[in-house]
Amino acid sequence: MDNIESNSKDWYDRYYKILFLIPIILLIISLAYLGYFFNKHGDFMLKDVSLSGGSSITLQGDIDINKLESQLKSKFPDLSVRSLTDITTGKPVSFILESSSTPEQLKPEIEKALGYKLTDKNSSTEFTGPSLSNSFYKQLLFALLISFILMSITIFVIFRTFLPSLAVIFAVFGDIVMPLALIDFLGIRLSAAGIAAFLMLIGYSVDTDILLTTRAIRTKGNTLNSRIFRAFKTGSFMTLTALVAILPAFFIVSGLPDSFRQIFFILALGLFADLINTWLTNASIIKWYCERKKIQ
Amino acid sequence: MVLREEKNTMKFPRLSWKIWLLAIVLLASALIISPTFETGVIIKSVEKNSTALDQGLKSNMIIQSINGNPIKNSEDYSRIINSIFPSKNKTSLKINTKDSEFVLFTNKAPEIIIADIPKTKLKTGLDLSGGARALVKAENKSLNAAELNDLISVTSNRLNEFGIADVTVKQVSDLSGNNFMLIEIAGATPTDIEDLVSKQGKFEAKIGNETVFIGGEKDITYVARTGEQSGIYACEAYNGEEVCSFRFAITLSEQAARLQAAITNNLTTDPTNPDYLSKKLDLYLDDSLVDSLSISKDLKGRETTQISIQGSGKGTTRKEAYDDATNNMKKLQTILITGSLPFKLEIVKIDTISPVLGKEFTKNLIILGLIVFVLVSVMLFIKFRRIKVTAAVILTLFSEAFITLAIAALIKWNLDAPAIAGIIAGMGTGVNDQIIILDEAEFDKHASLKERVKNAFFIILSAFALIIVAMLPLFWAGAGMLKGFALTTIIGVSVGILVTRPAFSEIIKLIIKE
Repeated sequence: MDNIESNSKDWYDRYYKILFLIPIILLIISLAYLGYFFNKHGDFMLKDVSLSGGSSITLQGDIDINKLESQLKSKFPDLSVRSLTDITTGKPVSFILESSSTPEQLKPEIEKALGYKLTDKNSSTEFTGPSLSNSFYKQLLFALLISFILMSITIFVIFRTFLPSLAVIFAVFGDIVMPLALIDFLGIRLSAAGIAAFLMLIGYSVDTDILLTTRAIRTKGNTLNSRIFRAFKTGSFMTLTALVAILPAFFIVSGLPDSFRQIFFILALGLFADLINTWLTNASIIKWYCERKKIQ
Repeated sequence: MVLREEKNTMKFPRLSWKIWLLAIVLLASALIISPTFETGVIIKSVEKNSTALDQGLKSNMIIQSINGNPIKNSEDYSRIINSIFPSKNKTSLKINTKDSEFVLFTNKAPEIIIADIPKTKLKTGLDLSGGARALVKAENKSLNAAELNDLISVTSNRLNEFGIADVTVKQVSDLSGNNFMLIEIAGATPTDIEDLVSKQGKFEAKIGNETVFIGGEKDITYVARTGEQSGIYACEAYNGEEVCSFRFAITLSEQAARLQAAITNNLTTDPTNPDYLSKKLDLYLDDSLVDSLSISKDLKGRETTQISIQGSGKGTTRKEAYDDATNNMKKLQTILITGSLPFKLEIVKIDTISPVLGKEFTKNLIILGLIVFVLVSVMLFIKFRRIKVTAAVILTLFSEAFITLAIAALIKWNLDAPAIAGIIAGMGTGVNDQIIILDEAEFDKHASLKERVKNAFFIILSAFALIIVAMLPLFWAGAGMLKGFALTTIIGVSVGILVTRPAFSEIIKLIIKE
């Protein structure tokens, strides 16, 4: 056992700089994709109607959704339709119709196509005016920026050393950029709650970084490699537990509010990214820093 | 010697105050949330000047049966009431509440608004309980504090007069300094809520170009809303549609009556219809014509304070037309009572969520919660291989969520989907912190247990500070629409730091000492 561990430590001494290349390459790909995306769409993300303005109408019950969609498409070309399926029965539970038109324009046409009136018993309607959604979006991005800055300042206050602090901040930056690039790539439209999830991700993903940095530079005893390895064992277990808590929202239980699912989806992506950014990015920088500073 | 040793092992381990604190906070939380298992429906409000009010029904009473039929929930209530009303003849309706019995002799449904008895003191938000939320601002104008206050008071008044019970109207601002009025309605929502909150409500009664009276208490001293003077009086098929007409009486102030007399005095009789005057009384709502009333010729030049206002509603079926007319009548009455606003309004956001969908969501969230608890327990057991340790973590986790819910109930916070997500995420950091405590307790065997726990707390406090600063900006961004998300997360992690984490580390010390 001891032998394997010491072998793995030697291995880590030799290869940690190469390991560092993996997240750097991923980060460069993500940033490049975001740049390409911005060029193409004029924005860093696709926005749903809560951020771009328009209506989202949820219909319940047995509906021939394809027929409804084709009937509405001619009048509302930007209409998009999604269905929420109950995984246990495989049947669709509800349908979400989104368009930049107002409910006053949409509802009569839907009612005509369905042949019955929409009431608060069989449907839900959400509408956000274009001016408000635009200011919502700007404010949420601003909030995200403020959150990142506050996080950075707090990290510096906690560790009071430049490079280790910077390593943490860099890792969190990766935790935001990588999921965002993936979401853009998948063509997912972000809601206001989705952006809020990125703020939470900042606070959420940072604790494994703190664990690592504290163990590496603040705690004495054992060797540096064993401290990092120990932190890795604990930290990755923490992240895996969090993922186990988050993933059932997609694979087992369906029929949850959309905002809720999006928050969890972004947290899940962020946690995956965090495994890479903490244990390859941050750990490599810390290891290099400790070797330079001769911290054993 | 032997005796003494036995005494020692028999002694119950002395619990630290930290564990007692957790126990007390948990108990207080249970009291705050206070679940009930009572059946029936609760009266949210009783209409003014109604038979129901006259007979003594009051809000907060709990109806348990009607005419001997047990009422378990709001569905039972609507089913039974709809089977009796509307009826042509007056019938007696025996309503049993928890403590007494009321008999109403009436031909229409009791003028009360009911709701299911809340199972706990927890308040669920829009996406879980259904309801409506609207964010309103003035069109092309930024409102100052006084104007916004006026707007809020007129709107609250309108919603109350209309008969919506569970409503809050308040001011919110966003990061760019815009002020909005936020309206939140819990439960069932009238279909045309937009009309009620966005209408300027400028009511004018004109003869020719001259305004005779306007809405509001200055000109209109009384609006009849029940009894013989108010209601639907005729329904008929017209052009393939059903149309129902309503009328209700209003009383004008003397000043308005004098003005009307002066104006009608200058009118002649209508040559084609000699029983009436040459011009009609035109009723405008927000500058569009609602109805024109012919003025009887004997009213010429007379000061009348009693006027009958009329209007109609239509639909494809008679019931639809009846409901539409009733709704239009209520809206008009509401506007006549509350008067108009000095500016036009714009709804910038409006969401109405079906209570049916909300029930489905709540059910699924509870299932999700249970699954997460089980999975996390299994994970922890695989890692630590000790039932006691796993149980301690799960107990702490549960306590944290429970106390967070209780605090939300205490500050009357509406738990919506993002707020629930915040609670679950807060529990996530909770598990993480406990894993760190456990890990640190085993980590450096050279250091004392106390020192190891101290190290763990350095990491935990740092993580705590970071999640707070990360979520803080959400309090202001986007007119506070995502405040719940930030709030529950912050409450959750704070409960963790202040109450559950210290208790947990004490429990772990006890387990390790064993």
